[in-house]
Amino acid sequence: MKIGLLSFAHLHAEAYIQNLRALPGVEMIGLADEDRERGQRFAAQFDARLFDSYAALLAEKPDGVVVCSENNKHRPLVEMAASAGVHVLSEKPLATTLEDARAMIEACDRAGVKLMTAFPMRFSTPLLEVKAQLDAGSLGQVYCFNATNQGGLPKRHRAWFVDKELAGGGAVMDHTVHLADIMRWYLNSEVVEVYAQTNRIFYAEEVDVETGGLLMLTFANGVFASIDCSWSKPPYYPTWGGLTFEMVTERGAVLVDAFKQNLTIYRHDLKRPVWGHWGSDANQAMLADFVAAIRDDRPPRVSGMDGYRAVEVALAAYQSAATGQPVRLS
Amino acid sequence: MKVGIVGVGFMGATHAAAWAETPAVIGGFVAETAPEAQRLAANYGARVYPDLAALIADVDVVDICTPTHLHHPMALQAAAAGKHIVCEKPLARTVAQGQAMIAACRQAGVKLLVAHVVRFFPEYALARRMVANGDIGRPAVIRLARGSFRPKKPVGNWFLDFEKSGGMMLDLMIHDFDYARWVAGEVESVLAKSVGHLRPGAAIDYGMAILTHVSGALSHVAGAWAYPPPTFRTRLEIAGEAGLIEFDSDAAAPIQMLLQKASGESPDVGLPASPLSESPYTTQIKEFYAALTEDRPARVSAEDGLAAVRIALAAIESARTGKAVRVAEVTQ
Repeated sequence: MKIGLLSFAHLHAEAYIQNLRALPGVEMIGLADEDRERGQRFAAQFDARLFDSYAALLAEKPDGVVVCSENNKHRPLVEMAASAGVHVLSEKPLATTLEDARAMIEACDRAGVKLMTAFPMRFSTPLLEVKAQLDAGSLGQVYCFNATNQGGLPKRHRAWFVDKELAGGGAVMDHTVHLADIMRWYLNSEVVEVYAQTNRIFYAEEVDVETGGLLMLTFANGVFASIDCSWSKPPYYPTWGGLTFEMVTERGAVLVDAFKQNLTIYRHDLKRPVWGHWGSDANQAMLADFVAAIRDDRPPRVSGMDGYRAVEVALAAYQSAATGQPVRLS
Repeated sequence: MKVGIVGVGFMGATHAAAWAETPAVIGGFVAETAPEAQRLAANYGARVYPDLAALIADVDVVDICTPTHLHHPMALQAAAAGKHIVCEKPLARTVAQGQAMIAACRQAGVKLLVAHVVRFFPEYALARRMVANGDIGRPAVIRLARGSFRPKKPVGNWFLDFEKSGGMMLDLMIHDFDYARWVAGEVESVLAKSVGHLRPGAAIDYGMAILTHVSGALSHVAGAWAYPPPTFRTRLEIAGEAGLIEFDSDAAAPIQMLLQKASGESPDVGLPASPLSESPYTTQIKEFYAALTEDRPARVSAEDGLAAVRIALAAIESARTGKAVRVAEVTQ
């Protein structure tokens, strides 16, 4: 099976290319990038073939592609892949507008190709363990979540992450979708209301998007959930950030820290402690599912509609932050 | 200086132990539960007064450690007699009651000291001092959490009577409402949700509030009466424009007991446990003693206590209505 990468704008492409190469039966055919310099740099770094254009890569007739462009450019690449009859795994957030997200889903449906949203946390082993216990009924009924998905300023990796047009927003767009998706998955219920407050105190001089944000979601089944999506981790924090939640049920609480499986490492050359993650690689499992879905002709474990719903929550958060009151989703 | 303590539950006993560390004399106690009052009186060589009036008549300072709804009438009675008051948090059950207490004390020329003990916990005091010192720049996003089990009482559990206690948000989360305001300034609006409001029959309670400060900072406050006894845990995270402060009582615990369980006994109320040379309750009472004897302000004022009540009541109102509530508009 042949898989290619469209754009290296998103830093996750650097992980995905290695994940693809580690998958048995998969040929990672190479990458294409509209930013010629970026394409050359990563092709050289990973010793991969660089195609002249997205069209040239698609002409190679891969079975699937992974789209890692800037958020607002997911749509043209996904539509291009769909027209070529190629299955797509799109980086999150699926799009920066609901119109784009819907168009992507429809294009893939029309073309009869699979569209998967890159929500790797669905493949996180700690999160899967909690989901299994939840489904088995051993944790009781869920009442609420107190969740965080914090990070550092992503500008340090890629400048476009703090560009309102290219990224679709700041911390809210970047860090709301993972948890919104996990909660939908855990609860089998949709978000019906969103409240959000945002600010720009971290990096106020450097960026013009929100860098701090707190959300409160309400689900159709009455569960409520807060999400802290702030870019509040300093650049010298022991790791990039994290994803945590306290899930409160009728029986008490379950505390989850998805990236807790770490060594703490002190090195003379770094002069600060760093965390070395030894937990299972969720990205690897996600790409394995994408490939297996193509191979077995079954739906991937995360759909385009899952991506759509998460974007809907993030966009409602911006609307709420502008009005100061909760926003109902239609 | 002679102190009379009203109420001999957990907090009355704790305050008594703290007063014993000061030069003040414990005159005695008054309480509904006579045996416990007798035990404490014997312990401190003090009296058991027949009623509140007798206590007030005999002491200089009235320390009110009774259920929340009783703070107001008892404080008015003490103020009318010209006695200083130490009052357990929350200051009052309603904003109007708190305002009346402050007005009465001002008129009587007596002090009203509110026991927001979290300000005296060294980890919380240190974090606040660092913020005030500019160590992490302007606070941007603050996360505070405090959790335990539902308080128990041998008889008449007022904690679980909303009319008396205001529930978990007024009784427990008020600690962090006060702390958030101490760290990041006045609070403009609150959006809150709680299990207690959404599922009245639930066996646990958990609440969360998003505070928007006038400064632009945001605070997330979580409170739990949800964990198995004897759990008591608190967390603090203050992210500023130039740094981050984290505290997790589990991670910072210097002692972990991994002993085989002897019995299922658990205390009435969950308590933070970190061995210190001085209990934060004692630090608090010592500061109150100094405030009373040297006529200088304590780190927490009656107005601070009232502001915290206002935020908590805004959170309760928000949890009830589903709307964000402006704190200044809470008048009841």
